[in-house]
Amino acid sequence: MSRAVRILLTQRIALLAVLIVAVVVTFFVNDAGGYLTAPYDFDYMSAALITAVPLAMLGLAEMLVILSGRGGIDLSVGAIVSLAGMVFGFAYGEWGWPLWLAILATAGFGALLGAVNGFLVSYIGFPALIATLATFYAYKSLAIVINDQQPISTEPIQELFSISRSVELPLFGEYVPDVPLGIFTFLLPTVVAVWVLLARTAYGRRLYAIGTNDVAARWAGLPVKDTRFKAYVYAGLISGLVAVVTVGQFASARPDAGVSGNGMALPAITIAVLGGVAITGGIGRVAGVVLATLLIVWLNAGILLAFVGNEGSQYQLLALGAVLVFAALLNGLTNRRYGGSAS
Amino acid sequence: MTAVAEAKIRKRVLPSPVTGQEVVLVGVIVVLWAALAVSTPAFLTAGSIQPLLVATAPVALIGVGMTIVIITGGIDVSVGGAIMVCSVLTAKALVEAEVGLAVAVLLSVAAGGLLGLVNGVLIAYGRVHAIIITFGTANLFMFLGLRIFGSGTVNGIPGTLAFFGRGPDGRTLGVPHAFLITVLLTAAAWWWLRHTAGGRHFFAIGGDAQAARLAGVRVQRRVLSAYVLTGLLVGLASCFVIAQGTSTLDQSVGAGKELAVIAAVVIGGTSIMGGRGSVLGTLLGALLVQSVASGVTQLGWRSQLSDLFVGIFIIVAVGADLLRARARRNR
Amino acid sequence: MTDETTPRLRLTAISKRFGAVRAIQHADFTVRAGRVHALVGENGAGKSTMIKIVAGAETADSGRIEFEGVTAEIRSTTDAIALGIATVYQEPQLFPELTVAENIFLGREIRSTFKKVDWSAQNAKVVELLELLGLPERYATAEVGTLSVAEQQQVSIAKALAADAKVLILDEPSAILTDAEIEVLFDVVRRLTAAGVAVIYISHRLDELFRIADEVTVMRDGRTIGTYPIKDLSVRQIAHLMVGEELSDARPHREVSEGPAALELCGLGRTGKFRDVDVTVRAGEIVALYGLVGSGVSEIAACVYGIDRATHGQLLVDSTQVNIKNPEHAQRLGIALLPANRKVEGMFGFQSIAFNISAGHLKLLSKLGVWVDRAREKAVALKLIERLAVKTPHERQPISAMSGGNAQKVILARQLVERPRVLVLAEPTQGVDVGAKEEIHRLITELAEEGTAVLVVTSDLPEALRIADRIQVVRGGTTTDEFGPDASQVDLLAAAAGGSE
Repeated sequence: MSRAVRILLTQRIALLAVLIVAVVVTFFVNDAGGYLTAPYDFDYMSAALITAVPLAMLGLAEMLVILSGRGGIDLSVGAIVSLAGMVFGFAYGEWGWPLWLAILATAGFGALLGAVNGFLVSYIGFPALIATLATFYAYKSLAIVINDQQPISTEPIQELFSISRSVELPLFGEYVPDVPLGIFTFLLPTVVAVWVLLARTAYGRRLYAIGTNDVAARWAGLPVKDTRFKAYVYAGLISGLVAVVTVGQFASARPDAGVSGNGMALPAITIAVLGGVAITGGIGRVAGVVLATLLIVWLNAGILLAFVGNEGSQYQLLALGAVLVFAALLNGLTNRRYGGSAS
Repeated sequence: MTAVAEAKIRKRVLPSPVTGQEVVLVGVIVVLWAALAVSTPAFLTAGSIQPLLVATAPVALIGVGMTIVIITGGIDVSVGGAIMVCSVLTAKALVEAEVGLAVAVLLSVAAGGLLGLVNGVLIAYGRVHAIIITFGTANLFMFLGLRIFGSGTVNGIPGTLAFFGRGPDGRTLGVPHAFLITVLLTAAAWWWLRHTAGGRHFFAIGGDAQAARLAGVRVQRRVLSAYVLTGLLVGLASCFVIAQGTSTLDQSVGAGKELAVIAAVVIGGTSIMGGRGSVLGTLLGALLVQSVASGVTQLGWRSQLSDLFVGIFIIVAVGADLLRARARRNR
Repeated sequence: MTDETTPRLRLTAISKRFGAVRAIQHADFTVRAGRVHALVGENGAGKSTMIKIVAGAETADSGRIEFEGVTAEIRSTTDAIALGIATVYQEPQLFPELTVAENIFLGREIRSTFKKVDWSAQNAKVVELLELLGLPERYATAEVGTLSVAEQQQVSIAKALAADAKVLILDEPSAILTDAEIEVLFDVVRRLTAAGVAVIYISHRLDELFRIADEVTVMRDGRTIGTYPIKDLSVRQIAHLMVGEELSDARPHREVSEGPAALELCGLGRTGKFRDVDVTVRAGEIVALYGLVGSGVSEIAACVYGIDRATHGQLLVDSTQVNIKNPEHAQRLGIALLPANRKVEGMFGFQSIAFNISAGHLKLLSKLGVWVDRAREKAVALKLIERLAVKTPHERQPISAMSGGNAQKVILARQLVERPRVLVLAEPTQGVDVGAKEEIHRLITELAEEGTAVLVVTSDLPEALRIADRIQVVRGGTTTDEFGPDASQVDLLAAAAGGSE
């Protein structure tokens, strides 16, 4: 029993899995009791996944920079989504570039914006919070000014809305719900790529090493600055891809896509922390971030059905905040109780 | 010891009261104002400067609390949500209960203090990094704020708070009250941070919390007080926000303000690593940011272009500090 | 008032165990007012434990402490401070952003009306203290961060005295100071003793004791060997007392073939750290650089490995002059280094053993330099775990959960993955248990026999004698004397500690 408690407290992935099951069961029960405004079933859960695409991708981007240690964080991801989205709007919507080229260019542009962050943080020595706060303002401003505050929603852009549609899976598709296309075209490739990067490549090892102990990494002959720099570049690249997804979802390249309201950076950081990424660096796994996204997405989807009107979106904030504070306090507790844990 | 020597010591009891960053900021603001005065004659008029000072007040006022929080090595990204709670609560009280000025201010400040207490308790006693806790409470505060909003906006807010507003009721001898209050509170905080043991202890905590604890500083209580103070100031600043707006308050109130405040603090020369900072610099930082925003509009440029300058200012201000620190190390 | 005959502080029959280790056994120690009492001993002789007991950081298992003739209980640092026992540690614990006066009064400020700090009262007191110490008055209002390390140390002393210290413990105060700064320190110490403070002075540099100390107590293997008036002894005699009976270190004399020089340091220097360092290590040879704390010996190692850049002289690897830019470059030249500070410079705390071993060799252990070859990584880790006899259930164990000796073996294993031509070991057995120490020494000898050029940088005298074929003594930032493996400990210690007479 105590062993089970210990695993739940120290293994974030186990805790998240249990919470997901609890959330889904709760809403299934509520659904059966007729307390929800619409059915909470597998079809609904599957359709809800469309919101997981940008959230999980940016969560992974934050994970890369937080892993790199030394207070790593990226407040500018939302602004990169806005600015890169406008660039995509121009390339694909105005200049008529082929789609693949426009996507490639947008991702590359995102990486370039990330490189500015990485340069400031890794080579000049800015605290990441400051550097990315500055670039957040700069990119946000440029995104709005670049097309004189106007969104781009020409015909090719509007047709991109098809990215957001759901598709039937091949072979066994008739037995399971249709899944949003964006899951396959953007999210899964990103998840796999980040997982491979972290778990299978020499770069991933170096990233964990510099995040765990910056000084020891230097004494071990690792290229500390270059490794940290690249973490910000990859985060920018992922943000560039999210820009394409976002343009597709809105059927329009909006200059404030990533920064309106509370922006995209805060939820992304929240997802990363909830997924067990240690703010001090060196600890964090792809599976944690993915499970944290699923937890929040399905919780949010259920909350939407449990309340009438816009109350649902309000309770989503409560859920996100409460889950984050709870997870953070739990981390503090387990660190004291079990002297810190690896994963 | 001779009387002369004693007098000399009494005169030089502390390092220079003004930091290099503050001098530079004053210089930059003066140059900026001069340039704007030359290019747009309308700039150096009461009709242009007064709104500029009014608009500076909320960010600069919250910046006082944020500066202290950052000096202790923490951060508070929940002030945007806290502004929403305080302002909607107060606006509703003004509309529905028709409360007077004093009650409205007390209500707002008390609400802010309570939210600050939540942050402070979780951070000081929960042993979790401030940024994570306040990311969480930011969501909770926004939830609370939206619940109080109910649906849509708060309409028909009476002019009870005009004392803090943009109109003629909000000025004495041409100086906007909101700005005056901000300057006075900044000066008080400056004195407190510089001349009381409690104030000095914030710097010690930010330098090395463990060593400060060993030296007898009550670290947890001090940290708690920094967040409570920030909350109280958010409460007062929310009154400014209501007074400066129209008779309608919408749900976007406070959004993104946490970053604007942090930007002012950072441009003002406070180190994000803790242990060093100045509320005077923060006031100047907020004034500079607002001056740029005002200048950009008056020059007829896109207003959002001012954010680009904010970004550049942050890079320059902190970059210069980094270079100074590097030069000091190599000395 | 205490008369001349009552000692300020007297420790009688003090003992302290840490687990199975007897750190101190039956030690006696007496300090008198107005005297400087030196405490000397080799690393691990029990000096620091003794000091911690006096300062209240550790509590003795048995024995008696008397303060001014009255039995005293020192259970915490607060107790010690209340008695008037102040300690100045090697690293000043000060707040760089606060002024000197604020640092001295932090946590017990003098207040006037409105809770305002009474700056002039505080500063007047600080100026008095500074005057007593013979330090300039301008210090009082200077920010500590703008002062040099030496000045910060003086501030630490002033801070200790502000609490009305009757006993002042100075732990290796001269290790971080230049010669000129040491003169100032001595001046300060003399003023204090003239004012009646009892000073306990700990130092590795025996020569300076003759200039500052009145008495010296020698410790060896956790025991106090004796207390002597300093004027009755010479450096050699003190060294002899510290080392004790010359152990017949029955190390078989190794035959070193006259291989080519693998690493040569010719007149190497780094401004402010060390100068004119000449060392040659041949393939298959073990050379020890033996120097006391603060002698510059660890900075030399950092330069060989490209952590710091040398400003003078030449560095030759395989008889080719090289200008090593960074550790990566050093590794490409076939140089590996075991860092001195295991926790800070060596370990990736919560990562696995395999991760820690492969960290510096990811190019080698990856396919195309990109994909980590996990099977090969595991094989390499298991092979090295076996070779170094690392005690662990499997290679996935996090290194932070291991004992000091085992963790050190893992960090050493990292240096052996690519079979370096030159292996630099900085304090290879610091904080390591006896068994692991034995094994690490055996391994170093084995590596040399396989043709590796080994440079051991150490402040552990028996270690230098035990494994090295030649020993270079470093003193005052430069190489001085060279000894063979049959040199006596006394000779070496006297050479390193400055017994040139």
